[in-house]
Amino acid sequence: MSATQALEDRLVTRLEFIPGFLLKVEKFLEQFQLSQEILFQTKLALEEALTNAMRHGNKLNPSLFVHVRLAADKDRITIEVKDQGEGFDFMHVEDPTTIANIDKPSGRGVFLMKNLMDSVEFLENGCFVRMIKTFDRA
Amino acid sequence: MPLKIAVHEKEKGIFVVAPSGEIDTETYKIFEKEVGVILARATAIIFEFKDMCYISSMGLGAIFRIKQAMEQKNGTIMLVNIQPNIQKVFEVMKILPDNMFASLEEADEYLDSFLDGVQKGQINPKPPKSTS
Repeated sequence: MSATQALEDRLVTRLEFIPGFLLKVEKFLEQFQLSQEILFQTKLALEEALTNAMRHGNKLNPSLFVHVRLAADKDRITIEVKDQGEGFDFMHVEDPTTIANIDKPSGRGVFLMKNLMDSVEFLENGCFVRMIKTFDRA
Repeated sequence: MPLKIAVHEKEKGIFVVAPSGEIDTETYKIFEKEVGVILARATAIIFEFKDMCYISSMGLGAIFRIKQAMEQKNGTIMLVNIQPNIQKVFEVMKILPDNMFASLEEADEYLDSFLDGVQKGQINPKPPKSTS
């Protein structure tokens, strides 16, 4: 399998729509015979990105949308999530693992994205995130 | 995957909570609500995670809040049989390294020691952090 294949969608900003999309992603990725570890980490990073886009980007406004694209080829998965919000200071997200921040809810999503994916890049003032997960076939 | 939660009182004040499925952005509320029902009566909560296959940051937050609530009243929580992928998430987030056990037997040993410490006054409630 050499050609890139992609799954794309525009989600209404309602958190309850996330699980259904994640299920589509799981089914889409079945064809790539990836390890359980890769599938788990990809799904989790994607959920965190979508939750952040809806909750913090679009402020849970159901009239706004989150655009998401997941592309996969022989050695990587590329995820792009874009919200319609005003952006955020992605250069200064607090480390949620410090003692001072351990009980704060904010920052955990971005932290997980950065630690589970091989690359995380924020663009467009933080309204757009591109994450890449590289792999060897299982 | 939907979330099912089995709760039973192993002995007085010691509860086993066994979620089956995924604790995600939607289902963490169900998880937190089910545990909330037993919180006031619990001295210790053992989370049996062998059938929990996924957790997101919202689920981690729920577990952390439960831990804090238990510690504020001199209680404790234990996480048992965590699947490897989820174990990695806890390790990345540096959450609860001292509360994770590979088996119910190990958790029981810790629990005996903990309850002994509470009885002897060696373990005190942890007050909530100041938000000022």
